[in-house]
Amino acid sequence: MDRPRQQHEPEHLGGGGIDVEVELDPEDLQPSVPLKKVPAGDLFEAARAGDCARLALLLGGGANVNERDRWDSVALYYACLAGHADAARMLLEAGAVCAERTFDGDRCHYAALNLRLRRLLKAFEARPPPLPPLPAALRATFLACPANRAAFLEMLQWTAGSEAAALAAAAGFGPTDNPSSTSLFPPDITFYVDGKPIEAHRVILCARSSFFRRKFNTDWKDRKEVRFSSQKLSFGALYSLVHFFYSDRLEVDVDDMENLARACKVCKCEGLQKILIKEATLQRYAEHKSPRDLDSSQKRFILHGQSLPEEDRLPSALRHIFEECLANSREQECYNDESNEMSRDSGVDAAADLYIKVCDKVFHCHQVILASRSEYFKARLSRNMDFLEVKSGLQSTQSLPFLEEHDMSTEAFEKVLEYMYTDNLEHMDPNQAEELFDIASRYLLFPLKRVVADILLPYLEHVSPAELCHWLMLSDIYDVVKIREYCLDIIACNFEMFADTREFRALLLTLPPPSGDDSLRTTRPSEPGTAGNTDQGNLLDDLREKWLEAEAAELDERDESAKLFDNRLEMLMLVAEQEANDGNV
Amino acid sequence: MNSQKKRSPKIEPFRHRVDADPKSFDKSWKKLEDAIREIYNHNASGLSFEELYRTAYNLVLHKHGLKLYDKLTENLKGHLKEMCRSIEDAQGSLFLEELQRRWADHNKALQMIRDILMYMDRTFIATNKKTPVFDLGLELWRDIVVRTPKIHGRLLDTLLELIHRERMGEMINRGLMRSTTKMLMDLGSSVYHDDFEKPFLEVSASFYSGESQQFIECCDCGEYLKKAERRLAEELERVSQYMDAKTADKITSVVDTEMLANHMQRLILMENSGLVNMLVDDKHEDLSRMYNLFKRVPDGHSTIRSVMASHVKESGKALVSDPEKIKDPVEFVQRLLNEKDKYDEIISISFSNDKAFQNALNSSFENFINLNNRSPEFISLFVDDKLRKGVKGANEEDVETVLDKVMMLFRYLQEKDVFEKYYKQHLAKRLLSGKTTSDEAERSMLVKLKTECGYQFTSKLEGMFNDLKTSHDTMQSFYANLSGDTDSPTISVQILTTGSWPTQPCTPCKLPPEIVDISEKFRAFYLGTHNGRRLTWQTNMGNADIKATFGGRRHELNVSTYQMCVLMLFNSADGLTYGDIEQATGIPHADLKRCLQSLACVKGKNVLRKEPMSKDISEDDTFYYNDKFTSKLVKVKIGTVVAQKETEPEKLETRQRVEEDRKPQIEAAIVRIMKSRRVLDHNSIITEVTKQLQSRFLPNPVVIKKRIESLIEREFLERDKVDRKMYRYLA
Repeated sequence: MDRPRQQHEPEHLGGGGIDVEVELDPEDLQPSVPLKKVPAGDLFEAARAGDCARLALLLGGGANVNERDRWDSVALYYACLAGHADAARMLLEAGAVCAERTFDGDRCHYAALNLRLRRLLKAFEARPPPLPPLPAALRATFLACPANRAAFLEMLQWTAGSEAAALAAAAGFGPTDNPSSTSLFPPDITFYVDGKPIEAHRVILCARSSFFRRKFNTDWKDRKEVRFSSQKLSFGALYSLVHFFYSDRLEVDVDDMENLARACKVCKCEGLQKILIKEATLQRYAEHKSPRDLDSSQKRFILHGQSLPEEDRLPSALRHIFEECLANSREQECYNDESNEMSRDSGVDAAADLYIKVCDKVFHCHQVILASRSEYFKARLSRNMDFLEVKSGLQSTQSLPFLEEHDMSTEAFEKVLEYMYTDNLEHMDPNQAEELFDIASRYLLFPLKRVVADILLPYLEHVSPAELCHWLMLSDIYDVVKIREYCLDIIACNFEMFADTREFRALLLTLPPPSGDDSLRTTRPSEPGTAGNTDQGNLLDDLREKWLEAEAAELDERDESAKLFDNRLEMLMLVAEQEANDGNV
Repeated sequence: MNSQKKRSPKIEPFRHRVDADPKSFDKSWKKLEDAIREIYNHNASGLSFEELYRTAYNLVLHKHGLKLYDKLTENLKGHLKEMCRSIEDAQGSLFLEELQRRWADHNKALQMIRDILMYMDRTFIATNKKTPVFDLGLELWRDIVVRTPKIHGRLLDTLLELIHRERMGEMINRGLMRSTTKMLMDLGSSVYHDDFEKPFLEVSASFYSGESQQFIECCDCGEYLKKAERRLAEELERVSQYMDAKTADKITSVVDTEMLANHMQRLILMENSGLVNMLVDDKHEDLSRMYNLFKRVPDGHSTIRSVMASHVKESGKALVSDPEKIKDPVEFVQRLLNEKDKYDEIISISFSNDKAFQNALNSSFENFINLNNRSPEFISLFVDDKLRKGVKGANEEDVETVLDKVMMLFRYLQEKDVFEKYYKQHLAKRLLSGKTTSDEAERSMLVKLKTECGYQFTSKLEGMFNDLKTSHDTMQSFYANLSGDTDSPTISVQILTTGSWPTQPCTPCKLPPEIVDISEKFRAFYLGTHNGRRLTWQTNMGNADIKATFGGRRHELNVSTYQMCVLMLFNSADGLTYGDIEQATGIPHADLKRCLQSLACVKGKNVLRKEPMSKDISEDDTFYYNDKFTSKLVKVKIGTVVAQKETEPEKLETRQRVEEDRKPQIEAAIVRIMKSRRVLDHNSIITEVTKQLQSRFLPNPVVIKKRIESLIEREFLERDKVDRKMYRYLA
């Protein structure tokens, strides 16, 4: 029996960036001398040498793509200077800053060896790689607030006209706004600086800044509006900071950086403050080399969350909130006790504004986070005021919404909450996978399925064939493509072993039969997008294709192999039916 | 299920799930079906969103999406059919309200149903490319309710009826209208267009067709346009109140077509109130409105323009053809200027300074001004009048303004060389008689003419000014060198360069002996300092100051040269016959008659007495010194020769001179063209010559042909041997 052949997809760096269509001439792709390998080099050495393998390893290991060396140069600068387009693209997809009006981007544009590299930089500047799910969702909520949206669009006016439209599109502003996007969760606090509003949600600010946490528990406890009149705080600075709180991506005018650093100090964001002070010093002596004469008001500084220590990033901040949420959640046996507990708990976390009951446990949660992450919760919390839960909830608690979820365990719900708050699961028992797939589907948290699949995959390498059939069935039901492909690969490569497994034969009886239409049963490999292919695949058809790839003879004898497989499958189904009948007796 | 229990490795057969499917689906669907009914009955407060959502989720998860979708479709159809019946049963004016109420209910229900079935929207519907739940609900509403025969026609009729009533001045429920049209737009822009906008535009076209017919029969043009303007404003407001913004252009296009385009000719030509009447009566406001409204229709402005142009031509033609109006040249030109001001004001105030209209006006003026071939002379006389009387009643700026306006008329002239001829004559008279008001004004006029027609046009005129300056310097030199007699009369001689001044044939008359003496001295001086020059006296020009005594009263007379010659004879004779005077002075007959008439027949100026007493001069008359002449003034000015409208013979003579002057210009043009072309055909020569000379005059092709023949005779050109119409340059 052969060892199962494992076919893994190559790891995508930077969360899978946009596939930017930039024409690259073959000559540009082939260096005049062989690329140097730096197996032990750092990020800058790998970029200079164009060693993509080393870059992949370093970036996969969590290297900060925007780190600067002793000469204040970033890795992307070296890739551009040396003319390594593949390396440059890899760095850009990992989040390297390349906007021409930033210090780093300006130097990259200046140093680009050829026009192709400049076009690559322009393309990524116009369409930056997408944010991970958590910051992307929160950012959408932030920009769905009318005041924030207006301020954002106004800032885009400062950029070049042709780029502004692209940036707006990248930020999710189309010519026709999607009605559902404009009904995202409304803000619960508004700040005014220089008379201009910034709309926000308490829980995000509390999570990101101890200053705000203290203020919202004391001076600002019941306030809807706060007006700042300090001369040292500018609208641009505070807007940039709050936007950063939601998205883990900072973009600020160079002129506002000192104000922003001061605001960070007040807000106890030491990590960011340190970076800003250092950057402000650097910017003071920086000279822009762009042929366009930018006045100082157009220079910008862009910072990605990965440049900060792990504990200063959004997922880490929200994980603290999540852990508090769990700590405040208790098993309640008595309704009266439950009411008393809620009264007492509200003093601990002023931002918690939602109770969710699962089995016997009540979770204290935050509406804006759940609504931002899951359309299911958004619909429940903001749109459906006529259903039973909302009315009864309001009556019972007199203050906060109270929801009850069914058909799930408290452990699984905790995992789902962890994902919604942090984009990650630190630990998961493989036995929870099925339930998590179910909840992820129900809550429309489709990326969660992938997270679970990634954790589950190493475990599947050691399961028995019988269990693998079970996982195949689940992956088909819940549409987890990664697991489904993995299982089909294993079965196709070890078909005879599975044919001897009783559970596999029983599985055949429950699946839809292979497609009866001969036109769909081509024996040649299908080209992508071929007419007749449906998105929802038939399991047995897919298994057949994989078997043919693994075991079929050469093309001229492929038809014979296909017929052989079909006959084999038919015999197995006959055996399965016999076994089923025997089982009934 | 309790997931805490560890799953056993053994996999149970999955047949149980499949076997249970039909029953479990029906049970789940029943739950959803009941919920949807409660939602439509406004009883959602008893429903659990979470439970319903989970139920739908499990159905889709277990591959029942298609059945669920089909069941949902049928269910929605059922509910909509009920709604449809209640809407159909609505009485009279409650119809729209019932429709709106049901629409609101349906929308609200759809939102709730969509949320319950959100998982199906995101997965099954997306994968199978079916219509999302909310859109499905809209489509069904469109097909089952809006487009059902009973409602469809009634809805449209109701909407159109309400619009009609609003047009007739009634108040209607605009909020209800807005809600209804918004419903149609929500169902899709094609629904709004097909089920409302298109028939609305058709009915509107019919309405405005009828109304415009009625208006045009009972209103004058100005009133009609006011009504059309108001209707346009009303329709735009209606769109902003309760229609899609895109309808605005379409409905205004209907009004434009029915009220303006279809009646444009009739309106413009309407008797007593049409465009021509507006122009005549300076109705600026009405003209403005017509201009703005007709801008909106094809050919609107071009029609106004052509009617205005025709009218200007007709009235201008009448002006230049009326014998009464052309009697006084100055008055004639002033009328032209007033007419131009009038239309300039109309174009400025009412037609937005439209360049096309300005061009049309210019074209019309050019057309009619040249109908009267005396226009060049009259314009020159007008300028003469202004430059003579500039000081009287006007300052320099006003004179400048008037001259600028005259230049506009000058630009219209096609025979600018005729103007030049007359202008030269009139300028000469002004300069030689010292009648011009200011040198600056004269030179300013010259600059304008040069700017307009180039240096060649004004070079001789400038020569005239130079001659006067030279003459002044020469006289100073002459008297500086003169010695001896201080008793001689003082003379002031103007040296006129031949060719720069309008030449008139002149037979020198016999000057008095006192004058002959000093004249001969000047001749000797002048020829002594200018070798090769010839000097000829022009005694038909000039003037003199004479001291005379009448009955013991001394007067100083200002007279022409001829008049001086006559008067000097009476120093040595008391009475002279006509024949005696003619013989003694040598003045030509016609000039002598006019001269004696000024001296003897003008009351208050009759320094001579003639017998017999009569108003006309005859050759049998005898003249005597009039010792009884009296005047309050010491200085008496005897009738100066002033510029007068030419008599018919003089006019013919001037025109013949113009024609003669054109010949060398045409020949020069032909020679220039042929020299550069070498070989050219007859028609091309005529075209080129006309093009070169049209800034001064329009050459007559017949004259060009004659000049070509003349050049052939003089061997400048020859005919091609093969093609008789082809000419070849020689020399």
